[in-house]
Amino acid sequence: MRKALFLLFAALLPGQALAANHVALANDVFVERVTTDAQGKQRILLEEPKVVVPGDRLVFVLNYRNAGAQPADKFVITNPLPAAVSFADAGDTRPLVSIDGGRGWGQLDQLTVALSDGTRRAAQPADVTHIRWAFSKPIPAGGSGKLMFRGVVK
Amino acid sequence: MTSKLNTVGIIGLAAITSLAATPALAAGTTAGTTITNTATVDYQVGGVAQGQQSASNNFTVDRKINLLVEEVGTVTTNVVPGQTNAVTTFQLTNSSNETLDFALVASQIAGGTAAHGGTDTFDVTNIRIYRDNIATGTIGSWDVGDTLLTGYVDELVVDTAIRLFVVADVPASLANNAVAGVTLRATAREGGTVGAQGAAITQTTGANTAGKDTVFADIAGVTGDAARDGSHSDNDDYTVQTATLTVAKSSRVISDPFNNTTNPKLIPGAVVEYCIAVANSGGVAATSVVINDAVPGQLTFVPGSILLGGTYTGTVPSGTCDFNGTAGGSYTAPNVTGTIATIAVGAAQTLVFRATVN
Repeated sequence: MRKALFLLFAALLPGQALAANHVALANDVFVERVTTDAQGKQRILLEEPKVVVPGDRLVFVLNYRNAGAQPADKFVITNPLPAAVSFADAGDTRPLVSIDGGRGWGQLDQLTVALSDGTRRAAQPADVTHIRWAFSKPIPAGGSGKLMFRGVVK
Repeated sequence: MTSKLNTVGIIGLAAITSLAATPALAAGTTAGTTITNTATVDYQVGGVAQGQQSASNNFTVDRKINLLVEEVGTVTTNVVPGQTNAVTTFQLTNSSNETLDFALVASQIAGGTAAHGGTDTFDVTNIRIYRDNIATGTIGSWDVGDTLLTGYVDELVVDTAIRLFVVADVPASLANNAVAGVTLRATAREGGTVGAQGAAITQTTGANTAGKDTVFADIAGVTGDAARDGSHSDNDDYTVQTATLTVAKSSRVISDPFNNTTNPKLIPGAVVEYCIAVANSGGVAATSVVINDAVPGQLTFVPGSILLGGTYTGTVPSGTCDFNGTAGGSYTAPNVTGTIATIAVGAAQTLVFRATVN
């Protein structure tokens, strides 16, 4: 364990030494609750994950910011799904997803899963194991943004 | 060529792994599990890879208490008066995300409409609850190998359904179609200790705690069993199916020594024919119906005159006996006796015999 930590530091240090440039990333989770008011209108509330039980819908929000003085290029955010969370959707953020533990990547509608009888079926959101957003343009200094995806507690 | 084949093999394996990694549990993630989500950022500045940044959050999956008690089948249990060990069948499902004990109470409804539309009119006695033994005996039906429960089901694991039998005795002397409604109610109790009923469970009120909170998620059961109270229930009922017998006796003069069979009169030496008709207006056939009639002292039984299983025109007692049948029965002074094997529902049968006036 200690050895692993040292290795991690070793990997981090050169980057920080090369440029005093860093990116801030915040990761928040909310429980999405739908309530119906007296007029019958549905309201969606995002709550802190206080009481969470299987079947609850979760919204994961990733806020990123380039806190450095130079543009950040080849900007890739990777989020493995927790084992107890089933992927639902990622809104309109169009991430790349992996359904095989991060080996292969693609848009969800282009991936297929092999079945035991040798045929392949289209991948479903529940098959997703990892999500990745790869930015084609650099994030300018001071630039920030927000990404989100939804999941369901298994 | 070989490497190409290998690649295909690896993709295939990976796809299978991803399939297996999706558990299809209805109850879901075990209570107390901490879910940690970590995102990482890789980026470059001026063409040089920078240190990876990561951010995480975590939360604990709380305990969802959910259970279902369902009657198995959609029909009443037919019973006969005096029957012992009459069985109604229920199923209990633990849909919570934790192994739990379940306290069980089998009670009787007091009047009102029972599970299958009848009106509750009597109570059964000696109510017991058995758990189906799925290793021996008749699986799914009550038998001697099933386990008599002492008020609770011990350590029922997640997403498991078990069959429970409410077994009771039926009092004697009940009318056809009498109904006794029963209710089985299960209440979630703390699991974790094998062989002992766990403590009562209360829902976490107020603010969330960092640990495992409890949320009741059950639906409403029978009247009086609200949703989200940690318990669930269902009704079933017993319906008495018995034979209801109506008896009528009629007679006619066959002959006298002077008029013979033309307008015979009831003078000494006259032959009288008796008919005992038995009709069944109940819900099941009556079997081994024994008809017994004492011949009055003023009459002398005519040997060999007993006819059994004859017909009756109309409804007993307002119709008329057809004075027919098959020879049978016996006479042991002063009693005429005959046994009719079966009187079907809605049918009538007769015993006919002759005697002379002293």
